[in-house]
Amino acid sequence: LSLPQFKLLRPRTLAEAVDFLAKHSAGVGASDSSAQSSANIRIIAGGTDLIPSMRQKLFEPDYVLDLRSIAEMRGIKPQPGGGVEIGALTTLSTIEKSQFLRQHYSVLTEAAATVASPVLRNMGTIGGNICLDTRCLWYNQSLTWRKGCGFCIKKDGDLCHVAPGGAKCWAAFSGDTPPALLCLKAEIEIAGPSEVRRIALNDFYTGLGDDYRKLQPNELVTRVFLPAASADYRGVYRKLRVRGSIDYPLAGVAVVIKRSNGHVGDARVAITAVNPAPLLVKGASEMLAGKAVDDALAEAISDLAARTAKPLTTSALTPEYRREMIRVFTKRTVLAAAGN
Amino acid sequence: VKRRCMLTADSSLARNGKTSRKTRMNNGFSIIGKPTAMVDAAEKTTGAGKYTDDLSLPGMLVGKILHSPYPHARIKRINASRADKFDGVVAVVVGKDAPNPYGILPVGHDEHALALDKVRYVGDNVACVVAVSDAIAEKAMELVDVEYEVLPAYFDPEESMKAETDLIHDNKPNNLEKDYHHAFGDPDKGFAEADQVLEARFIANEVTHAAMEPHSTLASFEIDPHTGKPGRLTVWSSTQVPYYLQHKLSLVLEMPMQQIRVIKPLVGGGFGGKSEVIPLEIIAAVAARKAKAPVKITYTREEVFWAHRGRPRTIIDLKTGVKKDGSITAVRARVVQDGGAYCSYGVVTILYSGALLGALYDIPNIKYDGYRVLTNKPACGAMRGHGTVNVRFAFESQLDELAAKIGMDPAEIRQRNLLQPPCITVNGLRVQSYGLPECIEKTVERSGWKQRKGKLPKGRGLGIACSHYVSGAANSIIRSDMPHSTVNIKIDRDGGVVVYTGASEIGQGSDTMTAQVAAETLGCSLARVRVIAADTDLTPIDIGSYSSRVTFMAGNATLRAAEDVKKRIAAAAAKKMNCAAEDLVFREDLVSKKGSVAPAVKRDQAEEVEVTQAGASVSGRVEGQILRGSLQQKRKEEGPKEWMTFEEAVVAAIDFHGALTGTGSYAPPQEARGGKHKGGGVGPSPAYSYSAQVAEVSVDEDTGEVTVHKVWAAHDCGRALNPVSVEGQIIGSVWMGMGQALTEEMVWKDGMLMNPGMLEYRSPSSVESPEVEPIIVESIDPEGPFGAKECSEGSLAATIPAIANAIYDAVGVRLHESPFTPERVLAALRAKKNAKVLNLTEGIDPTAPARFREHGGALCFKGKGPERHALDPARRESPASAGGGD
Repeated sequence: LSLPQFKLLRPRTLAEAVDFLAKHSAGVGASDSSAQSSANIRIIAGGTDLIPSMRQKLFEPDYVLDLRSIAEMRGIKPQPGGGVEIGALTTLSTIEKSQFLRQHYSVLTEAAATVASPVLRNMGTIGGNICLDTRCLWYNQSLTWRKGCGFCIKKDGDLCHVAPGGAKCWAAFSGDTPPALLCLKAEIEIAGPSEVRRIALNDFYTGLGDDYRKLQPNELVTRVFLPAASADYRGVYRKLRVRGSIDYPLAGVAVVIKRSNGHVGDARVAITAVNPAPLLVKGASEMLAGKAVDDALAEAISDLAARTAKPLTTSALTPEYRREMIRVFTKRTVLAAAGN
Repeated sequence: VKRRCMLTADSSLARNGKTSRKTRMNNGFSIIGKPTAMVDAAEKTTGAGKYTDDLSLPGMLVGKILHSPYPHARIKRINASRADKFDGVVAVVVGKDAPNPYGILPVGHDEHALALDKVRYVGDNVACVVAVSDAIAEKAMELVDVEYEVLPAYFDPEESMKAETDLIHDNKPNNLEKDYHHAFGDPDKGFAEADQVLEARFIANEVTHAAMEPHSTLASFEIDPHTGKPGRLTVWSSTQVPYYLQHKLSLVLEMPMQQIRVIKPLVGGGFGGKSEVIPLEIIAAVAARKAKAPVKITYTREEVFWAHRGRPRTIIDLKTGVKKDGSITAVRARVVQDGGAYCSYGVVTILYSGALLGALYDIPNIKYDGYRVLTNKPACGAMRGHGTVNVRFAFESQLDELAAKIGMDPAEIRQRNLLQPPCITVNGLRVQSYGLPECIEKTVERSGWKQRKGKLPKGRGLGIACSHYVSGAANSIIRSDMPHSTVNIKIDRDGGVVVYTGASEIGQGSDTMTAQVAAETLGCSLARVRVIAADTDLTPIDIGSYSSRVTFMAGNATLRAAEDVKKRIAAAAAKKMNCAAEDLVFREDLVSKKGSVAPAVKRDQAEEVEVTQAGASVSGRVEGQILRGSLQQKRKEEGPKEWMTFEEAVVAAIDFHGALTGTGSYAPPQEARGGKHKGGGVGPSPAYSYSAQVAEVSVDEDTGEVTVHKVWAAHDCGRALNPVSVEGQIIGSVWMGMGQALTEEMVWKDGMLMNPGMLEYRSPSSVESPEVEPIIVESIDPEGPFGAKECSEGSLAATIPAIANAIYDAVGVRLHESPFTPERVLAALRAKKNAKVLNLTEGIDPTAPARFREHGGALCFKGKGPERHALDPARRESPASAGGGD
């Protein structure tokens, strides 16, 4: 499959990048999916998500904005007052190997280390993993294939093959690091033509499969912040996949726990790959707080997680199985994070 | 063990074969039996080697194929005018440009280069756009307007067999490609004598080859000097069967075969996926003729999945009876294969499935009913272990269950049913060499079976299974008395040996085997031998690389050709040495009188020549020539001797006979060609390979995930001509079998392949690859070249049941459907525990489809999907088509 033709823009500074975006992005202000997918410009960092999609003609932009020369968007910078700032262009293998992150934010290094395969982690970036396009077996296919299925809501069509009759797109968010980042209460910085804003990552995702993130076509994610308060939790990330490498998660669970006096002081649980967005499991923190983790408690948490999950036939393995695995993996992850 | 052998290989390589000649190798051979690097290894590992897609010609165009979006539809009209006018498009090829039918089997000529009136699967070939670039061809493809009339489609073989209307091929009632009904011995009586009888349905889902190199073909016509029209055709193609390709091209293009030259460049794996004529090979040639320019077509990975020809989804209803002493009294198998939309090798596949019930164990009574069914999916064909793999999975699983029923060790029940060769089985298969007893013995010993079986921790288990395969089919596809392999050898004046063989190197080591056999027979060093292979203008006919026939058949032809030419050398040398030709021994670049011990000084002289010859510099080579010349002169003066160098003998022979050439061919003996019953031609082979494997697995009882820790795989290959190559083939077979056992499955929904790519079609990664301990067993076949048999297919079939049996040993669940995905394993575990049943077919969303993986299902295609949702108008007005030249 050939790549569609496009012009490659290579800004050297963030300001230049924002200018390019403002100049070439069509449909500014529109937030519906059609405007997003027909946007005139796409951003490339590692390219591990975009390039295959462009070959499949999921995106045929006139311009591709290559961020890789912007040095200011790269690197892990511990902040004087505690916390850390991670440039959006920092590669997943850099994060995986960072001693600082491993020591203070281990759930993130663990999640980063499970993404795809080593070569892809050398290219893929944290910003790209956060912005990862949602995936579905009916969507991540070639143009010829999609013509055969009659297209779908997410691209070129008006039908959902996963939940026929519905008008909602259920493509699953399949990033590994966002559930870890949600557990760490991460914030992200978004740069646009008029302002630079900072939002909680939790507010970044919409929960829709097609228009899955709150990012205008003229904006880009520049930095990730992990607060000082989230440091030094015990963190564990586990994912279900068929192969031990390469595969996207079919279900993923991140758990962080801070202990005090042998009990859980503070904890958070997040899941991925079973909804159109990565989600914090509501009620899990409250249920864990102040308790000693045992099998029964871990099972109660896993029930909560399973209720939050809404896996559909967007990927391999059956939805019912993946829901069951959210249960199993949550229990295991909670127990592991609690040190039991 | 693996590591040790690899080391031996490396060190002998490093020594460049010069020092190793001093060490006498096993069994008195000097070339074979030694771990030898592939002759094309340097090209491949440095990237210098050229595969078809690496080739280009001046003025070459690219072709892109437009595929059907419907599983079953009539083509009412094709209008290519918009595409034709698109800037950069040279031609658009459609079905009527080459309407002759073809197919790999003479009974199955049901394919066309491009669809004439009907499309039969999503991905069927409709038109081909020839343009100056990939991007332009892809864009123009969207401008070919095709009007379809959608027909009901059939996805499940058992449903398809009931079809009375809208048949996939009009001449195949009930969509039945072929059915066979065999009974050997007295099955009813056999079951009556049994103490235990088990009956069950097994399902093996569809898998594909997933060779690294996608198919690619480059076709080019020469202008005929007399007519100015396209004349001779040259085709470079990634194929296992250059001669079949030449034949089918001649049928479709209506050209004599002599006007067509097929060349096989390096091929990046075939596994059966390139063992017949694949649509793009014909399309490229037709396109080159129409566009009047060379045309190259390379499949995308998705197109490789559509071209397919893989292992069909197979439903096996199996019944086996055994006595208390473990002996099998009867087997009855009803096999239904979901063959896809075209015949391909289907008739052969369904026959192999029945025939290879025999020749592994001694089974007195066999009943077999095989149905090859057409469905609206890509055609299935031959894949590593053609026809035997799925039935073997069922059989070995059931044998394990029967062993448990009668309280016998699974290894022992297999030992109780051994054949007593030489013999002819009840279904007419001749077995001569039979290494199965040793295979079982060795795997049992190495795996610590007796000490460890049943004593491993919870969730961990051992399983054993056996398998076998043909060393080439005794009867070729095209019925004729033609030899299956012919090899020519030419020897130059300086002792360079050129072997011309039609056998196709596809990565399996065919060229290396040929060089080894030639060098061993001629008693010369391997470095002297150059193999020219698979070029229909240069090399004599060979029917190709499939059914594991090359070592046995092309190997025998090479051996005979080498002996033929050796006879001439011997005659000349004998004259010089004043002795009878029969008294000469050819070995290590020397021709000497039998019984004469070459003194050290002679060895050193010979060594000296060799060393100089090995010098890489041109001057070194020239010096070597001079040295050789003077040595020859000197020796001439000295008169007859006890020995001559190989080169001296060659020079003597050329002086005596003129050109020094030899030829040899091989046809399987009449006795090995099988019984007279209908379909009895498939299954017979001059020799069978044997395999026994023990797998050690663990099962996560919460998730159903299976991990294979280690596989001990013994394989009887007759004689290992190249031990590292044999080990590589065993390891590769186990790995590929493990893929089918655990992760690989083509998933269908309404005729759409849900996983047409290497991301979603999950071949195991290096993380899942277990340690494999290959164990070579040598039974020395009386008819194989130096006793060799096949080694690349027979092992695969044992891996799947070995893993299934190990899972049973680990957690006590019997899996009847492959692959053993976590959900299937977990469902079985839950069912066993009577725990909450895990419903595998229903989503939690009430609006979700009623059935996930309606693989087959009972649903006929009722226009759901494509028809309900016509091409999106937005897509038509997208910039891509707006830029079109209309």
